[in-house]
Amino acid sequence: MSRHPAPEELLLDYAAGSLPAGPELAVALHVALDPEAQQTVERLGALGGALLEREPATGMGAGLDAALERTLARLDDVPVEPKPAPPRRRHPGFDWAPAPLVPHLRPGMDWRRVMGKFDEIRLDLPGDFHRVSLLRLESGRGLPEHKHSGYEYTVVLQGGYTDETGNYGVGDFAVGPGSVRHEPIADPGEPCIAMIVVEKPIVLTGPWGRWLNPLVSRGLI
Amino acid sequence: MLSADEAADLIEAIATRQDRAAFARLFNHFAPRVKAFIVRGGADAEAAQEVAQEALIMVWRKAASFDRTRASATTWLYTIARNKRIDLLRRNNRPAIDTEDWLAVFAPEEEDADKSVLAGQTYTRVKELLSGLSPDQLVVIEKAFFEDKTHTVIAEELKLPLGTVKSRIRLALGRLRDALERDES
Repeated sequence: MSRHPAPEELLLDYAAGSLPAGPELAVALHVALDPEAQQTVERLGALGGALLEREPATGMGAGLDAALERTLARLDDVPVEPKPAPPRRRHPGFDWAPAPLVPHLRPGMDWRRVMGKFDEIRLDLPGDFHRVSLLRLESGRGLPEHKHSGYEYTVVLQGGYTDETGNYGVGDFAVGPGSVRHEPIADPGEPCIAMIVVEKPIVLTGPWGRWLNPLVSRGLI
Repeated sequence: MLSADEAADLIEAIATRQDRAAFARLFNHFAPRVKAFIVRGGADAEAAQEVAQEALIMVWRKAASFDRTRASATTWLYTIARNKRIDLLRRNNRPAIDTEDWLAVFAPEEEDADKSVLAGQTYTRVKELLSGLSPDQLVVIEKAFFEDKTHTVIAEELKLPLGTVKSRIRLALGRLRDALERDES
């Protein structure tokens, strides 16, 4: 069990399929790493199944036979696929990446140093307005103190970090309104890697913030 | 009607011998329900029909990845319909989570099938439980599942404080957990 689970209402949004792509990926990574969250999502799937089963059998009316005929005709071109191999969990160079992240990793994707302080890989999820990043912090290093106008979702993938709200390890999930200033510091040991999904542009609150914020809001840093 | 065991047998018949008669029975049971479910969420009838047909074709394709010790047929069907709804109704956007990845939630690498809350007919228990939820809780749960809305949007629509919606969701899930844990012990 993680010490910092995702809130249940967010797991419901995830199970029902209503989250935008960025937060959906953050929750998927948490679920992949946290057996308890996985169990909750399974239960919610059963709840979805029960709601489906309650629906009327007459949903297609008199068109049912025709719909079945059309669908049967299409099966000629659709093979029954063999039982799949277990999902590939590791990706060269990204051995910390849980399975749901792997499809988003591309060959040649590499860490980019930002403001001399931390490394970032920006993920592109088309059609989503969130900023989705993998961040890597060396032990003892911190992110610049910042706040943001929308929600921020964080899931730890390697190592850990500590901020004013506590200590976060692999699989832990944090969500909150970004209006709270915070300054996470990576724990001792291997570098901390986390996925951060931010709803709106980040606002730096440190002494350099005034100069750097225009660049942040334009997505340059 | 189809029992959970019958539905599981039919899916396995597709996996082992590409049984079209089994497919037809599953289609007749589930396709109308998937369509009704999607329409209830506000989609037009044509789009809902397409989601239902595509979902059942996915059942055919993926039958071999169904594992009755992990999930009831209905739960599995629900997850497929959910993903098809995302794929088709948000078709301009690439889905973030592959249908295959999402299904993997129900077939993880670790072999702890005996612990699965979905094994066997658990969903019938969940179904009973649904009728035991308060109307206040049920309306939030239904909106989430049918209408593709986040709890934040639901709070706005019902003109309720976010905290109230969260606590209704947590109470409903608490009841779900208690009921299933009682079953398991």
